[in-house]
Amino acid sequence: MSALATRGRPRSAPPGRSLLRLGPLRVPVRRRPVLVAAALTALLAAAGVLSLSLGTPYVATPDVLRALSGAGTPYDLVVLDLRLPRLVLAAVAGAAFGVAGTLIQSVARNPLASPDVIGITQGAGLAATIALTGGAAAVLVAPAALLGGLAAAALVLALGARHGLAAQRFVLAGVAVAFALRALIEVVMMTADPIDGLRAQIWLIGTLAGKGWTEATWIAVTLLVLLPVLLWAGWALNSTALDDDTARGIGVRPVARRIGLAGTGVLAAAMVTAQVGAVDFVSLVAPQLARRLVRAERPPLLCSALLGALLLVLADLAGRRLFAPTQLPAGVLTAAIGGPYLMFLLLRGRRRAS
Amino acid sequence: MPTPGPAPDPAGPPAPSTRPATAPVPRTTGPAGTPASPPAGSPDVAASPPVVPTRGAAMLSTRDLVVGYDERTVLDGLDLALPADAFTVVVGPNACGKSTLLRTMARLLTPRQGAVLLDGTAIRDLPTREVAQRLGVLPQSPLVPEGVTVADLVGRGRQPYQRWWRQWSERDSAAVDEAMALADVSGLADRPVDTLSGGQRQRVWIAMTLAQDTEALLLDEPTTFLDLAHQVEVLDLLHRLRVERGRTVVAVLHDLNQAARYADHLIAMRAGRVVAAGPPREILTAELVRDVFGLDCVVVPCPVTGAPLVVPALTSVSLAAPARAASSVTSSAGPLAG
Repeated sequence: MSALATRGRPRSAPPGRSLLRLGPLRVPVRRRPVLVAAALTALLAAAGVLSLSLGTPYVATPDVLRALSGAGTPYDLVVLDLRLPRLVLAAVAGAAFGVAGTLIQSVARNPLASPDVIGITQGAGLAATIALTGGAAAVLVAPAALLGGLAAAALVLALGARHGLAAQRFVLAGVAVAFALRALIEVVMMTADPIDGLRAQIWLIGTLAGKGWTEATWIAVTLLVLLPVLLWAGWALNSTALDDDTARGIGVRPVARRIGLAGTGVLAAAMVTAQVGAVDFVSLVAPQLARRLVRAERPPLLCSALLGALLLVLADLAGRRLFAPTQLPAGVLTAAIGGPYLMFLLLRGRRRAS
Repeated sequence: MPTPGPAPDPAGPPAPSTRPATAPVPRTTGPAGTPASPPAGSPDVAASPPVVPTRGAAMLSTRDLVVGYDERTVLDGLDLALPADAFTVVVGPNACGKSTLLRTMARLLTPRQGAVLLDGTAIRDLPTREVAQRLGVLPQSPLVPEGVTVADLVGRGRQPYQRWWRQWSERDSAAVDEAMALADVSGLADRPVDTLSGGQRQRVWIAMTLAQDTEALLLDEPTTFLDLAHQVEVLDLLHRLRVERGRTVVAVLHDLNQAARYADHLIAMRAGRVVAAGPPREILTAELVRDVFGLDCVVVPCPVTGAPLVVPALTSVSLAAPARAASSVTSSAGPLAG
C-alpha cells in the first residue's frame, strides 16, 4: 500500500483503490468489494439454477438451462411458469431488503436498525391486517400495506427529524412506533374472524408462495426508479460515519443527507414489504454480513443487495424443500437464521464494549 | 458567568473604556497605508509592522453577531474582524463564548442575529460546498469512524470538490498526499484511525482539514487531550501553515502562554464580549489576565521567544511559601467568599 504513495508519480486513485472510469464517471473502488460482488453474483446464479431444478418434479440442470434459453422443453411449464417467477421475486425482494437495510442502518449508525425494527414493517403489517380482516379485495392488500409502511416511516422520520434525525433518536422513535403498531395489530387480530386472522398471520410472517411476476415487477420498477438515487447514495453514505460538525465542515448538509438516504431506504422497504409481507431479518442480516465480507466501515450497497437476494432465494428454497410437501413461509426460515445471528451480534457487541 | 476564585475587581466586567484595545475591533479604521481596506488586524498593529504581508482584507469578520442556546444568549452583538494571513488565537475562561464564536464562524451554529462574513459576504448566503472550499473546520472532539483508514479519512476532506459521478481526481490525490505529508501522517496511511494514539489522531484530523485546501482554517481547542510535546507539535504545524502557506488560522486555545507564543493576533474574551484584541506582546498584561480570568499574575518575557509569559501569582490557598502556611489555613475556610 505504502509503495503506492512513494512511487513518486501522481496517483490517480486513493491508496488501496483503483479508479473506475466510465464516461464521465470517476469512482474509486476497492478490489475486495468487486471480488465479493462477483462471487455473490456467481452464487446467486447457482442458487437460482438449484431453485429451478429442485422440487417435484425434479428438473435436471441441463434441462433447466435449456428451458431458460427458450429452446422449448417439456419442463417449460414447471421451470418458466411455476418456479421462475417466484425465484425472480425472491431475488428482487431480497435485493430490495438489502438496499433498505443498508440505507437505514447507515443513517441510524446502528446495525440493529432495519425496517422490521423501526416500524415500517409493522405499519405495513397493520394496514395489511386491517385490509385482510376487513374484507377488502385481495388486490388492495399490497397498496394498503405500502401506504401503511410509508405512514409509519413518515411518523418515525417526523419524530426523529425534530432533532436533525440524530441516530439515537431515530432508532428510539422507530422502536417505539414499532411496538405501538404491533399492539394495534394484535388488537385487530383478536377482534377478527379466525380464518381472516390466519390469513393475516401468514401475511405477517412473509411468504413468496403464490406470488410471482406482478409482485416482482412492482419491486423491480421501484428499484429501477430509485437507481439514480442509489448511485448517489453509494457515495453519500461515506459521510454518515462522521459526526455532524465534521460533516458540515467538509460541506455536507448532514440532516438533509440523512433524510434523503433514510427516505430512499423507506421507499424500498415499504414497497418490498407490501409485496411479500414481513420477511424478517433479511434487511438486518444482509448489510452486516456484506460489511464483514468486504471489510468496510459501513455496509456496501451493491454487495448488500446481492447478499439479500442470495439469502432470500436460499430461504425460499429451503422453505419449499426442507419439509416437503409442507411449505414453510420464507419469513420463518429467515427468522430462524436471523435470530441466532442477532444474538451473535449482541454478544459480540457486549464483548467489545467491556 | 460564574468565575470562582478571588474577584479582584469588584466593579465586575471591565469597562470597555479602560484600555484602547478593549473594544471589539472596529471594522472601519484601518491603519494608514492600507488604503480602502478594512483593518489588517486591529488598530494596534499599526505600531508594529505586520510579520507577513496581509491580503489587505480581513477574510473573516462578524457583524452584530448574536448567538445563544435556547434561553441563554452567549454572544451579544459581536463585531469582530480577523486579520487575513495571520494566526489568530481566541482565549478566555470556560463558558466565555470562545467556542461558540468559533463554531458560529465555522457555520456549525446559526446566529440569531447578525452575520459571519467571508471576504465581505455573509456565509449563510454562500453555497455550503463553496464555504467548505474556503473555510476548513476542526471541531473539538470529532467522532472517529470505526475501521476507517487514515488515507480514507484524509480523503474525505476532498468532499467539497467531489460529486457522486466524479468521486476522485488527480488533484484529490495530490491534495491528500500533500496534507498527509504536512501533518506528518503519511507513514500511517493504511492504519485504521481508531487504532492510533491521541496525538496521531489529532494530526490525522488536521490532515483531513488540510486536504480540504481552504484559505482559512478554524480549530476548536486542537491541543486538548494531547501531552505537551504533541501540543507543541500541533501548534508548530499551524504556525507553519500560516508562514509557509499563507493560510488564515484561527484557534481556540486554553493555554495563555501557548497563545502568546504562537498568535499573531490574540482575542481575549470574557462573558461573551471581546475584552482585548491585538498582538499578544501589546495586549497581554497582568491587568488583562486579571480582568479576563480573575487571576493575579506576573507577566514576564518568555526566555525562549520573548513573548509574554503569564506566571500566576501566589494565592492564599495555593502552595504558598512556608512562612505564610499558618495564615493560609485560617483563611482557606472561605476563599471564595472574599
